[in-house]
Amino acid sequence: MKPVMTFALMTLRNLLRRRTIWGISIVILIALFGIGQIPGFGVSNEGRFILDFGLFGLEIGALLLAIGLASNIYPRDREQKTVMPIIAVPLSRSQYLMGRFVGAAIVEAAAMLVGCIGLMIILIMNGHAVPADMLPATGLLLVEGWFLLAVVFFFSFWTSPPLNAPLTTLLFIVSQMSVSGFIKLFPQAPGLMRTLRLFLPHMDVFHIKDPIAHGMDIPGLYFFLAALYGLAYMAFMLSVALAVFRSRDLK
Amino acid sequence: MKLTVVILISAVLLSLACKADYDIEEVAPPEHLGTDHHDELDECEHEDAEHVESDHEHEAETAEPGSVHEESHEIDVSEISGSNRHVHDAGQRNHGTGWFFNQPWAASFIWGKMLRDSLILLVLAAVILFVSGYRRKHQ
Repeated sequence: MKPVMTFALMTLRNLLRRRTIWGISIVILIALFGIGQIPGFGVSNEGRFILDFGLFGLEIGALLLAIGLASNIYPRDREQKTVMPIIAVPLSRSQYLMGRFVGAAIVEAAAMLVGCIGLMIILIMNGHAVPADMLPATGLLLVEGWFLLAVVFFFSFWTSPPLNAPLTTLLFIVSQMSVSGFIKLFPQAPGLMRTLRLFLPHMDVFHIKDPIAHGMDIPGLYFFLAALYGLAYMAFMLSVALAVFRSRDLK
Repeated sequence: MKLTVVILISAVLLSLACKADYDIEEVAPPEHLGTDHHDELDECEHEDAEHVESDHEHEAETAEPGSVHEESHEIDVSEISGSNRHVHDAGQRNHGTGWFFNQPWAASFIWGKMLRDSLILLVLAAVILFVSGYRRKHQ
C-alpha cells in the first residue's frame, strides 16, 4: 500500500504542475459565477434554478476533469519511456495503475470540493439557503467523476488521447439513457441493445439535484447505496483497465 | 481448473444480471406509478366537459330566435383554467410529475437491485483481476 500512496503523491504533484487542471477548475468557477448572475425576473424560488444548473455544471466539470486529468497520463509515460523503469523494479502494473488513479482521484476530489463551496457561496450571495444535502449530492457527483476517471484510464491503455475524449463523452451520454431509450437507438435488435446496456451504469443513480432543488429529504441509506454502486462500477472498470494493461507489451 | 470455475461463476452472474436489467417504469409496482390518480383526473376532466356542454345548451335555449349566437369562451375559460381547477400538494405524485418520481432516489423498490448490481460488479472485478493475473503469470 505504501508504494501506491508514494506513487499517488508523485502523480498528484505532477498533475498540479500541469495547466490543464487549473484551466478546467477556472472554467467551472466562471460557469458557476455566470449561473449566479442569471436574473430572477421576480420568479419565486430562484434558488432552485441556481442549484439545479450549478449541480449540473459540477457534473459536466467532473467529466471534463476526468478527461483532462487522465487521458494523457499513460500515453505520456509511454512516450517519454518513464513507464518501463517504473514497472521494471519498484512497482507492479497494478500498483502503477492504482498510484496514477489515486493521484488523479485526489485532484478531482479537491476540484469538486472547491466547486461545491463556490456554489454554496453563490447561493448565499443571492440570499438563498444552502440545502443540507448539498455536500452528499456533490459526493455522489464525485463518485460519478471517479467512475469516469476509471473509464478514461481504461480507454487510455488502448486508444490515443484524441480518441479517448469522444469515447468517454459518448459513454457518459449513453449511460444517462434508460434501458428503453437505449433500445430505441437500434430497435431492430432489442435483445442485443439490452445486453449492451447492461455493461453501462445507470448514471441517474447519481442525480439527486431535482429533489434537493425542491427541498425534499433523501434517506441516508440511498446515499450509501448509490455511492456503493458507483464505487463498485469504478472497481469493475479499473479491473478491466488493469486486464488490458497487463496484456500490453510495452517493449 | 480454478480458471474454469472462475469463468463459470462470472458467466452465471452475467446471465443473472442480463435478465435482471431494468427501467424503473418496467419494474415499478402499480401504487408507485399512481394509476389511480390518472382515473381521478380523467373523471375530473370529464365532469368539466359535461359542465361546459350543459352551459352551451342552456345558452342555446335562452337565446332569442334569429339572433346571432355568440359563443362566449371567457366564462368557460375561467372555469377550466386557473388555480381553482386542479391543484396538487407540493411533493405529490401526479400526471405531470411522473418523471420526477421515476428517479432512483424516489423508487425505494429498486434499492435492493442497486445493492445486487454492486455485489455482482465487485465479484466480477475480483474475477477479472484473478484471471488477468493468472494469465500474466503463465505467459
